[in-house]
Amino acid sequence: MSRRALIGVAAVLAAGVFGWIVMSALGRLLSTPAAPPPDVATEVPAVAPPATTEPAAGPRIKATLFFASADAQRLVGVQQDVPLAEGPVAQARALVTALLTSTPPDGLASTIPEGTALRGVYLSDQRELFVDLDETVRSKHRGGSTQELLTVYSLVNTLTVNLSTIAAVQILIDGREADTLAGHVDLRRPLRKNEALIAPSEPPQSPS
Amino acid sequence: MRRVLTALVCVWLAVGAAAEASAQGAPAALTILSRDGRRPLAITVINNQEYVAVDDLAAPFGTTAREAAGGLTITARGRTIIVTADQTVVSAAGRLVSLPAPALKRDNRWLVPVDFLPRALGVVTDTRLDWRRSSRLLVVGDLRVPRVVARIEAASAGTSLTFEISPVATAKVAAEGARILVQFDADAIDLLIPNIPPQPFLSAVTLAENGTSVQVVPGPRFGSYRASTMQPDAGSSRLTLELMPSATELAGAAAAATAPPAAPPPVDLRASLPPSPAGAIRTVVLDPGHGGDELGAQGPRGALEKDITLSVARRLRTLIESRLGIRVFLTREDDRTVPHDDRSAFANNHQADLFISIHANAAVRPNVKGAEVYYLSVERADAEARKRAEDAGVTLPALGGGTRAIDLILWETAQARYLEQSATLANAIEGSLRARVGMSARAIQQAPFRVLVGANMPAALVEVGYVSNPEQEQQLTSADYQARIAEALLDAIVKFRAQLERTAQ
Repeated sequence: MSRRALIGVAAVLAAGVFGWIVMSALGRLLSTPAAPPPDVATEVPAVAPPATTEPAAGPRIKATLFFASADAQRLVGVQQDVPLAEGPVAQARALVTALLTSTPPDGLASTIPEGTALRGVYLSDQRELFVDLDETVRSKHRGGSTQELLTVYSLVNTLTVNLSTIAAVQILIDGREADTLAGHVDLRRPLRKNEALIAPSEPPQSPS
Repeated sequence: MRRVLTALVCVWLAVGAAAEASAQGAPAALTILSRDGRRPLAITVINNQEYVAVDDLAAPFGTTAREAAGGLTITARGRTIIVTADQTVVSAAGRLVSLPAPALKRDNRWLVPVDFLPRALGVVTDTRLDWRRSSRLLVVGDLRVPRVVARIEAASAGTSLTFEISPVATAKVAAEGARILVQFDADAIDLLIPNIPPQPFLSAVTLAENGTSVQVVPGPRFGSYRASTMQPDAGSSRLTLELMPSATELAGAAAAATAPPAAPPPVDLRASLPPSPAGAIRTVVLDPGHGGDELGAQGPRGALEKDITLSVARRLRTLIESRLGIRVFLTREDDRTVPHDDRSAFANNHQADLFISIHANAAVRPNVKGAEVYYLSVERADAEARKRAEDAGVTLPALGGGTRAIDLILWETAQARYLEQSATLANAIEGSLRARVGMSARAIQQAPFRVLVGANMPAALVEVGYVSNPEQEQQLTSADYQARIAEALLDAIVKFRAQLERTAQ
């Protein structure tokens, strides 16, 4: 084989390897379902909420949490104390933790299956918040489109009503993009606030 | 060898979805169907995803593969696909293609999801690769492979066996010994057969070894048959075989009345009733919610949403077909798991003029009851359509600066074009249901429901009642109440059709 041919082969191989590196970099940019979205601005380590619900220490804010109404047909906003946290991601995490763990007032019901844990919260630079819940939210869900809508939008509304910087919320399950929670609501894209589901008699008051 | 292969294919087709559901244990191979014949392709199931080995693609598709720097370069017809382990994105001839699951390297073998074949390999080889998941066929090139869905309706005086054929293919029916052979004019058929419980007039329906005909094995009381064909529209045709008792049995049964002459065994293949009157609605697809592993909501006494929805859909089909002469397809004929995309794609492929997804609801409070109707929420579809118009493709940062455009096919916004008609449909359904069964407090709503997003026609989702309410659980499982729901939905379709025809004038 001539020297020219060898150089030619080497050049082709080098081009191939370079092309390969470009492709794999692009592949990563396009994001895998298991990883946070590409444009993550801030990230909170995935830690289950603490078992103790009365940390008491630290400043607290008034926030509106959404629960199922007495007739289980709508969402009702309820003002509760939630720990103040630094930045929208940490605050979002505090809000979801409060929604998962707090007991709803008399007559109202929690929309999220008991035992559901928060794995992580991520914010994209399009102001879309990704809330990563564990598999319990799906496996323990009792089904029905009404219940599914209330579960999804109690999270979406709690986050978008309290945090004006958040445009939309996407729910991930066990770190992955989910098709639906119980067979109805499309979870493949971030969802915006849903005011139609909020009970008209008790409009939620925004915390100031 | 070919006989063995085709025999295997018959078995795969027959076990169809059952095998798919239990694929975890013994995955069923898929069958590559091309001008050169049939050839099996082994499947490996990992994390509930079906994979094929890249090695196995060499023989049927002439691919070569070379490993480099943690990735794999697959070459076919001089063009390349670059695959990275654990990545869901591959590059096919320079275009990025996303897959439903990551490529994997296991035991020194590279595995790619089945969707890799149509999405990536089809692109670089410029070949149409059509993956028919339910019948486990991968159709290569422009073969005529109509989908043939068999349906059985048993009655005491006979059984009728109907084949819905789309796209249109002609079929010849002939008695062959003790069997009836239905020969389709096609390169192969994509046959779906429901489970057939033992019946007096019908024992079995199987795909014949040639892959293009269906063998019908009559049951013990069978005497004669009558075949008729019908072509309700340009997109599909229908062949019905009526299996009837023997002449002596008929004569015996009809001894008191004036005995009609029994049809002699080799009977006429009568061409066709006229096509149904050209109205605004020619085809309806009904989608019985959930199914298979997906039970849906459950009642306090154990009633399952998936059973109620199938039952209501079957009743409604019978009503629509018999009273309106409109063709009706169900996205599932039995208790099986059907992915959301397959449901709306089924409606799109059948060029349905109307799509109704049927569900039963649940609430945390047992006292909640009543029906509800949904159509797709505007805001989200709007936002997506707008985004698509703005972007006209997605741009990604490229190495060395700048951006590069990639083509992602978004067929997700299909329903956005029909929102107004879907709202009209939902209103019609709400009015009819209110009159016959009563509505919940939120009678008509919009929601981002997954199954509606891709439907390319007016579409609505109906919650027929709350199975979590003890009284409604009992109603929803009763024939009487299901019939009332079906009647209400039939009324709604009639009203909607009239409205469409009015606006068209």
